[in-house]
Amino acid sequence: MAAYSKPLPAISPLNAPYWDGLKRHELQLQRCQACGKIWYPPAPFCPGCWSRDFAWQTLSGRGKVNAWVVFHQAYFASCTEDVPYNVAEVELEEGPRLLTNLVAVDNNDITIDMPVEIVFDDVTAEVTLAKFRPISQ
Amino acid sequence: MATWELKDKAAVCGVGHSSYGRRLNRSPIDLAGEALRNALDDAGLGRDELDGLIVSFGTPIGVDADTLAYTLGLKLTLYNQTWAHGRFTASCIQWAAMAVTAGLATAVACLAALRFSDMRRPVMGGAGDHEGAREAGGGHGEDPVYGMTSPGAGAALVAQKYFQRFGATSRQLAAVPVAFRKHASLNPVAIMRTPITVEDHQLSRLVCAPLHLLDYCLINDGAACVIVTTSERARDLLQQPVYISGMQGLPGGRDEFIWAYPGFGIAQQERFDYHSGLQPVYQRAEVTPADIDALFTYDAFSILAWMALERFGFCSPGEAAAFTQDGRIELGGALPMNTNGGLLSEGHIMGWNHQVEIVRQLRGICGPRQVVHAKIIQWANAYGDSLIYRR
Repeated sequence: MAAYSKPLPAISPLNAPYWDGLKRHELQLQRCQACGKIWYPPAPFCPGCWSRDFAWQTLSGRGKVNAWVVFHQAYFASCTEDVPYNVAEVELEEGPRLLTNLVAVDNNDITIDMPVEIVFDDVTAEVTLAKFRPISQ
Repeated sequence: MATWELKDKAAVCGVGHSSYGRRLNRSPIDLAGEALRNALDDAGLGRDELDGLIVSFGTPIGVDADTLAYTLGLKLTLYNQTWAHGRFTASCIQWAAMAVTAGLATAVACLAALRFSDMRRPVMGGAGDHEGAREAGGGHGEDPVYGMTSPGAGAALVAQKYFQRFGATSRQLAAVPVAFRKHASLNPVAIMRTPITVEDHQLSRLVCAPLHLLDYCLINDGAACVIVTTSERARDLLQQPVYISGMQGLPGGRDEFIWAYPGFGIAQQERFDYHSGLQPVYQRAEVTPADIDALFTYDAFSILAWMALERFGFCSPGEAAAFTQDGRIELGGALPMNTNGGLLSEGHIMGWNHQVEIVRQLRGICGPRQVVHAKIIQWANAYGDSLIYRR
């Protein structure tokens, strides 16, 4: 199998717990212990109330499609065989929105508010991406 | 309410630009030099009378302010530059206006110079996606890990949300590039001057759906320059002054992003309806949207024109699709927009070409594309910053 040649995340001290969670197949985001807010992307303290008291919480991994686009142009050479591919904004049950790819669905069948659940895609030994697939009704 | 103390205190006294085109095979320094010389000549100012320089879209892609100052032999008491993003046009004019009114400089050249079409690799998407490499994601919504790259992708996401939320269509959006191309056909320096139709737009290839190729701006080379001085001094120079009446700074936050007003943000967590209210720029200039004779906006992507109209209250959220039909934003319409042809058709000079056109419109020298009796013109953007100019 060819080595994974698509872009990889820039892992920083701030976002490392997020990527470590995905590697363990857990979707974890920071939750404020003071006001209860859960947010993405990772921040040094709660962007709502500025409390420094937060914990990494495992989320349901469920959400709904808020919007999506379909790339017909391959900007990355490594994505040439993927076009047309989708990028979706998924609104998690807990509130935050993630950009992601929807899998196991034809681009023409994506609809607004479509319920989805996380699929952990281990693209390298070190990196797991959070993708989503429709929840069958 | 007392008059805002900077209202009409600074003015544009000169504008200039280089030739615009694709693959001009000229350095950004060369293009900047041509635009600057033309602007100084227009103002009737000598090189040594220029003591301020603000470079928009500077390092790492555009011309660098340091390099430009010593390469052109400028003697400056004030200079600054913005990162290589197009959205800082109004910010630069604001700094220049504040600098001259505070006495930090007497004449400030604001410019952008770029050589986009000659780049050997993509600079705003794919391998050259320096936006998406930023920690916590790119300013246009880039997230390359999932293939989300290029500024247009974020605009496509906004368009998709807008279509979904308000039932608007790509066919309605075509009215924007069609109008701006019509304007460009009257502009001898515009790069794309052949009129297009709604059908042309609909048949153009999808780049990042739902946006078509004709929803995307041009990728080109060129430079444009605006010289700001005090209004008092401007009245003694060659040209009729164009006064800077109102300004509104660049906002930021989770609920909005570069291509969208609050409610369409990529990082936001609550759904809500946006209401523009009377934006501060109007209060400072002591006008309302009804007083604006022509509107100019950063049209890197056609959907941004809709966002700007709604953000500033020219129409309510969801109404821009209908508002832009039937020639309303064309010359002769109720609110002509981007009479130069915009980034979509004149060329992408980061909005500086729009500032040049605004000034010329207010001087009344735009010939076949002149907005009759233009007195007050606004620069207003999807991302919320704005300038109001008057003659």
